[in-house]
Amino acid sequence: MDLEFTDEEAELRDNVRDVLAGIAPTSLVRAIYEGTGDDTAVWEQMVQLDWPALTVPEAHGGLGYGFLAQAIVAEQLGLSLAPGAYLTTATQFAPAVREIGGDEVRERFLAAVAAGRITGTLALAEGGRWTPEAVQATATPVDGGWRLDGRKDSVLRGDTADEVVVVARGGAGLGAFVVPRGELEVHPRQVIDPTMAVADVVLDGVVVPADRVLAEPGPQVEEAVRRALDEAVVALAVATTATCRRIFDMTLEYAKEREQYGRPIGSFQALKHRLAEMYLAVERASSLGWFAALTIAEDDPRRHEAASLAKAAAGECQRLVVGDGLQLHGGIGFTWEHDLHFWLKRAKVGDVLFGNAVAHRAELARTLGLAATEEVFA
Amino acid sequence: MKLTFDDSVEAFRREFLDWLADNRPTDAEMAADPALSSAHLPAWAKAWTRRMFDAGWLVPSWPKELGGRDAGPVETLVYLEELTKAHIPRTTNPQGLGIVAPSILDYGSPEQIERYAMPILRGERAACLGMSEPGAGSDLAALSTRAVLDGDHFVVNGQKVWTSGANYAEFCFLFCRTDPSAPKHKGISVVLVDMDTPGITVRPLPEIVHPDKPDLNEVFFTDVVVPAENLVGQMNNGWAMANGSLAHERGMVWLNGVLMLEESMVKLLAEAPEALDRLPAQERAVAADQLVTSYIDSVAARCLGYRGFAKLVRGGSAPEQALMKAFSSEAGQRMAMRAAELMGDRSLDLGHDQAVAMGMGITSWMERYFGTFGGTISAGSSEIQRNIIAEKVLGLPRS
Ligand SMILES: Cc1cc2nc3c(=O)[nH]c(=O)nc-3n(C[C@H](O)[C@H](O)[C@H](O)COP(=O)(O)OP(=O)(O)OC[C@H]3O[C@@H](n4cnc5c(N)ncnc54)[C@H](O)[C@@H]3O)c2cc1C
Repeated sequence: MDLEFTDEEAELRDNVRDVLAGIAPTSLVRAIYEGTGDDTAVWEQMVQLDWPALTVPEAHGGLGYGFLAQAIVAEQLGLSLAPGAYLTTATQFAPAVREIGGDEVRERFLAAVAAGRITGTLALAEGGRWTPEAVQATATPVDGGWRLDGRKDSVLRGDTADEVVVVARGGAGLGAFVVPRGELEVHPRQVIDPTMAVADVVLDGVVVPADRVLAEPGPQVEEAVRRALDEAVVALAVATTATCRRIFDMTLEYAKEREQYGRPIGSFQALKHRLAEMYLAVERASSLGWFAALTIAEDDPRRHEAASLAKAAAGECQRLVVGDGLQLHGGIGFTWEHDLHFWLKRAKVGDVLFGNAVAHRAELARTLGLAATEEVFA
Repeated sequence: MKLTFDDSVEAFRREFLDWLADNRPTDAEMAADPALSSAHLPAWAKAWTRRMFDAGWLVPSWPKELGGRDAGPVETLVYLEELTKAHIPRTTNPQGLGIVAPSILDYGSPEQIERYAMPILRGERAACLGMSEPGAGSDLAALSTRAVLDGDHFVVNGQKVWTSGANYAEFCFLFCRTDPSAPKHKGISVVLVDMDTPGITVRPLPEIVHPDKPDLNEVFFTDVVVPAENLVGQMNNGWAMANGSLAHERGMVWLNGVLMLEESMVKLLAEAPEALDRLPAQERAVAADQLVTSYIDSVAARCLGYRGFAKLVRGGSAPEQALMKAFSSEAGQRMAMRAAELMGDRSLDLGHDQAVAMGMGITSWMERYFGTFGGTISAGSSEIQRNIIAEKVLGLPRS
């Protein structure tokens, strides 16, 4: 296993970083927090640069890059906090369409993503759980399509995405459908990080025509949903760990600059050891993130387990880094004026969405055969 | 980035596995005559080292005449991995093979190489490493064992402690103060001392686990006469050896930590289901969660190593080593602690598997747990590793 960036990978990373510094500066994040700006332009500029096409297969008009490229972009999004529709469209909506959909519906929506014509998201979670097992929303066959009922929780960009992949349960198993957001009853929530807007969605008998069915309910859909989820989970894990890395870097810099008792606070051993601990946590999560990204890029059988490893480690990392990052900044980090809190809050959101560390450890317990047998079927 | 190794590396792996199948020491041999300390060479161990030396499998990255085959770092990694998987100790004298021999090869005279280094590589002699003293542990440069040059010989007086294998070793790679007036890092030299020289007393210091097989020792030196030609390298240049040559093989030490961790995890995953089944649901969930956290550590350790791999193999003293050392030793400690907790009342039982050499054979998690402190205390304690990470990797100012 080789976890070092190749020259081309490093070049992509640097390009993405430079572009994001231009189109999504921290001042934009602040503007969104303070209600004086929005992220529409970020997506528009990404479209101009062909980013939505990056990981769409060439057959559907994309550039055909693999998941490693996706993870490289996700990492830079997490570092910079760049807002906008990329994360949900490219790492949630598009993988769901690609993994679950049949040929025609796939061509229709992936081509639209590649061309930058639509943004999308994934409505899966119920009861705060991002697992196929948690899906209770129903899909019932009706004349000309399927009727969906039930509700979906915490849909990222559920209030703005053009298209929503909805996963629901029919008699034969899970099914998945592409629903225009305008046809859904969307309840936007007031959340701690307004750059990661979240909405609950009510499926009040919305009827989906046959040409928007990704997969009719059936026993094989669950596996496809899981594969799509793996991608979303790893992208978010990598982004969240990158957010933590930035918190760590800011804290390290501050510890070198800030003086008390006539010397830099970073010379106090109590803080040195805490910084060493933070560094370790970031490196631990980051190396698992790249491992997981590789398992998806190479479609390795360990990909599902690796996704949980990466997301659990990202969650564990943020627990330490958010707390110590804030504590080591002292009073200045506690102020609205200082930018630190944007990263702190993003790291928390990154842990919560798509299953936090506890949820992914529980999933690992299951895959490792450590969970009680009843739980396997819960 | 990619998950797999190149074909040439896989070919190397197969070549080694084929050789191993025909040449490995048998489990029966090892069980009949287990190594009793880190400088004890049972007959099978001597023969095994010799076979590896002759076939170029002792230190694959070294040239043929030193028991290698000029292998690259990735090949070395594969080699160590396969040895560990096969449950075969690479050596029963890790300090000798890993530190003493390479240091002599780097700094020693041709005669010293012939008399001291080569016999280690051929499995004929075992060495111990005399660094720590009662007054010089983490602060090694504070050592005070004196070597006074008197014509054609040194006279050595002082005391070493925690000297692994001194009760079996034939000679000692001994750090002494040769210039007490110089600043503390600048007055240290290394001499090679035969352990049967008059004036040396070795007193074993049984450890908190398996005290019947002490490996640590106190070593007392009273007017010990050492030939002047046994000075390794330059006079007062000992500190360079402590930092440079001791870092030999460190490029690969992390892998050992990782492999031990994975080995423990496999054992734990095999034992866990039965132990978990004894627990009521609430406790089971907590215990399972703890084990999973250790599982994450064990996969992370390998990925961390591979991530910094280029750096780790390039620099013997790459500060990133500190990260791997602290992480893998502490992760192993947490794992053993959680495993013992999982075993509940059964964790109180002693248990050894005599069949497997050195450390690997301990079957009781509670004893393993206590044993892991050897890893977090020795070779730069976890606290010292954090100091190194903070100052050398993160660039924080000295305290
Ligand atoms: C299993 C084992 C095998 C060993 N084998 C050998 C051997 O073969 N040859 C040999 O020479 N030595 C050997 N040692 C000795 C080992 O190198 C020392 O134990 C180690 O360097 C620590 O020194 P000490 O025991 O004196 O502890 P001390 O240095 O006294 O440390 C005590 C505590 O204080 C902490 N501490 C010390 N300094 C600092 C600091 N600056 N900042 C923060 N915390 C600090 C330490 O981390 C530790 O927790 C071995 C030790 C063990 C446990």
